[in-house]
Amino acid sequence: MSAEEKNRSYITVVREELQQYTQGLLRENEKLRAMATALESDKRRLELEIIEARVVLDQQEVLRRKMESFEAARTEMLTEVTRLVQARDAATRELDLLRTRIGDVERENETYAAQYHQIENQSSNLSNLYVASYQLHASVERGTVLSTIQEIVVNLIGSEEVAIFELDGDAREFRLSSSFGVDRMRLKSFKAGSGPIGKCLVGGEVFVNDEVAGGEDKLTACVPLKIGERVIGAILVFRLLEHKQGLQAVDHELFELLSIHASTALYCANLHNSVANTPLAVLG
Amino acid sequence: MNRKKILLVDDSSTILMMEKFILRNGPYDLVTAANGEEGVRKASEHLPDLILLDVIMPKMGGFEACRLIRSTESTSQIPIIMVTTRGEAANVEAGWANGCTDYVTKPINSIELLAKVRNFLGDGAAEVLQ
Repeated sequence: MSAEEKNRSYITVVREELQQYTQGLLRENEKLRAMATALESDKRRLELEIIEARVVLDQQEVLRRKMESFEAARTEMLTEVTRLVQARDAATRELDLLRTRIGDVERENETYAAQYHQIENQSSNLSNLYVASYQLHASVERGTVLSTIQEIVVNLIGSEEVAIFELDGDAREFRLSSSFGVDRMRLKSFKAGSGPIGKCLVGGEVFVNDEVAGGEDKLTACVPLKIGERVIGAILVFRLLEHKQGLQAVDHELFELLSIHASTALYCANLHNSVANTPLAVLG
Repeated sequence: MNRKKILLVDDSSTILMMEKFILRNGPYDLVTAANGEEGVRKASEHLPDLILLDVIMPKMGGFEACRLIRSTESTSQIPIIMVTTRGEAANVEAGWANGCTDYVTKPINSIELLAKVRNFLGDGAAEVLQ
């Protein structure tokens, strides 16, 4: 083989090797390009992921701020609730105090109302007694005094059955002087010291039947008319008015008042009567 | 103070005095009459705000007086409280039939009478109870 051929062969070998090398480089280059493309793609994907992650982070930040805001609001509300609970407790205590005070005031009111009622009753009773004594001594006319006694029994005690007796001159017999609503013939007179009424009058004490109720046909009271210790007459009270529910304390007071004041009024009226009927010459 | 006028009609001076006593502290001007006839006349003269009228009286009884007061135009609207010893239904019924507005029974209960007067004469009368 000539040198030229050798050279040519060598060149050919080198050329082939170069071509192989070049092709290897091209393939390598192709691979690298593919890798670069893949990397580029990865880079874009990652960039998108980063963007998405940032959005998420932003949202997270917003949520965190909202949570902080909610937390602050919750804390504020808790403080407000605590304050309200304290205010409620204070109001409850105040309410309890007010209730206690209202209870005290109500009890006080009840006491005052009871006292007022008591005073009103006392005033009413005193009025009755005053009116009775005033009326009894308002006249010295015998007829007026007798009708006043009847009026007191009818209007202040509440009985439409009353008889007024006076002891006769020799103190043996009580004779009917005036009556209202009773049988005059049946009660014309009775002897002193005999019979239930006559005996009752001996002691000079007022007899009152406290058991009697309104409308019952019974003797309700036997009131001796006394001048000092001397009995000069009697008032008999029978049936009480239907609607009257028994005797009350003021009725007892009225009987006691009648026992003394009706007798003095009647005594004065009788004296006045005898003086008025006495000729002036006798009186001097 | 708005004073009210009350006509008291009763032949019993005891009852008139009692009624005056009961009403004495109230804002009332009291006019009295001793029988139904005088009561009817004084009702027309004084035109009271309320009349307390006894049932049994000489000259003219309470029922007749009540009828006459009701039949007179100027007095027909005046409330009339009959004052009676007879609390039974028939008597009360007769009172309503003759035009009475209410009734109280004798012996007069001062608290009951004041309550009824206050009921008819309004708040002014409440001062009596306070």
